[in-house]
Amino acid sequence: MTAWRTLAHHNAAVPDDWRERLIARLPERPRRIGLWAELALHGARSCLDAAGEDTLPPGALLCVASLRGPVEATRAAMAERATRGSPMPFTFLQSQPSQMLAALCQHLHWGGDARFVLSRDTQALLRLVQLECGPAGLLLGRVDEGAVPHSEWWRMVPGAAA
Amino acid sequence: MNEVYVAGRGLASALGADLAQAVEALRGGGVPTVDFETAPGETTPFFAIVPSDEDWSTRARRLVRAAAAESGALQARDGTLFVASTSFDMGRREHGDAFALDIQEYSERLGEWLEWRGPILTVCTACTSAVNALLSASALLRAGDASDALVLGIELSNQYTVGGFRSMQLLSPTQAQPFGAARNGLVLGEAVAALHLSNRPARWRLCGGANVVDASDPAGAVSSAVATMCRQALTRSALMASDIDLVKLQAAGSPHNDVTELAGLRLAFERLPALVSLKGWFGHTLGAAGAAEIALLLACIEAGVWPAPDYPLDRTLEASLACSAPPRLRHVLASILGFGGGHAAVVLEDTAASR
Repeated sequence: MTAWRTLAHHNAAVPDDWRERLIARLPERPRRIGLWAELALHGARSCLDAAGEDTLPPGALLCVASLRGPVEATRAAMAERATRGSPMPFTFLQSQPSQMLAALCQHLHWGGDARFVLSRDTQALLRLVQLECGPAGLLLGRVDEGAVPHSEWWRMVPGAAA
Repeated sequence: MNEVYVAGRGLASALGADLAQAVEALRGGGVPTVDFETAPGETTPFFAIVPSDEDWSTRARRLVRAAAAESGALQARDGTLFVASTSFDMGRREHGDAFALDIQEYSERLGEWLEWRGPILTVCTACTSAVNALLSASALLRAGDASDALVLGIELSNQYTVGGFRSMQLLSPTQAQPFGAARNGLVLGEAVAALHLSNRPARWRLCGGANVVDASDPAGAVSSAVATMCRQALTRSALMASDIDLVKLQAAGSPHNDVTELAGLRLAFERLPALVSLKGWFGHTLGAAGAAEIALLLACIEAGVWPAPDYPLDRTLEASLACSAPPRLRHVLASILGFGGGHAAVVLEDTAASR
């Protein structure tokens, strides 16, 4: 079995001013991507910073997990549907988890294999993404909105610690 | 590494309650759309599974059980279940109880309906969900972490999804005509599709595949990403472009996306293989589309029924959908492109075809 090395682990504690920090860190302000995607971006960016990486290398696997997904955008889109017949386009897009992947790719200036996969068993999920990625390793995040926002990330590569 | 095969498949769709009915419906010229009411007095064409008096969950349970049983996967309930969807139980949520469950609880409920004993994972990457689920299931089987897996693509009727696509002005007011001269948008459809993967040899081998997210256009395809997806899928399948005999397209009838997809294929293939699209027959089934279209295509090939387009094609594309099965049909590249810049494909080999 391949050994894995954790280059960085960004823990779940999200500071109160995380949005201001995110905007200050990125060259372009994220626009209309929604709270959940911003939260994911905050954690992913912080984890890569902790790993000393400007972006992911080509061939890496980016995987995001969440139990509730973009729940606030989904609530908003359902409310719009109830009042005006259809959700507004940007609200509908923000309610789609795949748009979070696009936002991560755009703001990390990276393209490649990116997935939104759910499992209650983090170890099973980690085992799956480790099977699927190559030598460039993976960036795995667990992101959930809520009273206490959660955005925990791991940057891992195959190979034993030096 | 172990080989991975499509051991069985099941499909409930607008074309019928199972694959045999679907193939017969294709042989007979297809099925009509129904009018889906998006708002009072406003409708859009929609490919619906035959409606019933059941409530949303009861109908979903019946369809899920039937498709999984048809695939043969209920003989391997200790394997891994991958649920692929974009709307999950939105149809139930619309009728109250909107946010009682988290997303994974819905997948676990599907597992209960199937009396599933193995692990359950959920993949949600918009239209590429089922193809990405196939890639993940295949990775588990290749590594020996499982000997069976069920990829269950499920997309059932709900106002939210149809309304969202309508507000983005992506829907056709008439019909889906992939590569058609008069194509003017998508027609959505319902499907519950089951693909049973196994290490045990079967007719169709899953050779490899790829998933490429390119955020240049978060709502559409990017030609360079289509080409990268094809090249990566070929490399991982240990094949050359010239080995591919048929490409099952994403092509849904979008004026822009059909052109972009074709441009990407031209970058990857010096000579275009035969092309086929299935969305004109039972709609775009979103997260289920990868599993639903592969299930239907393989059933058509085995039955000798070909889903030839019955509308005028766009000559300016300088490429046509095949009117019959290609004379050599051993390797199929099946792709799905989707929201969020997703481009995903798998390569399948017909092990019964002559080398």
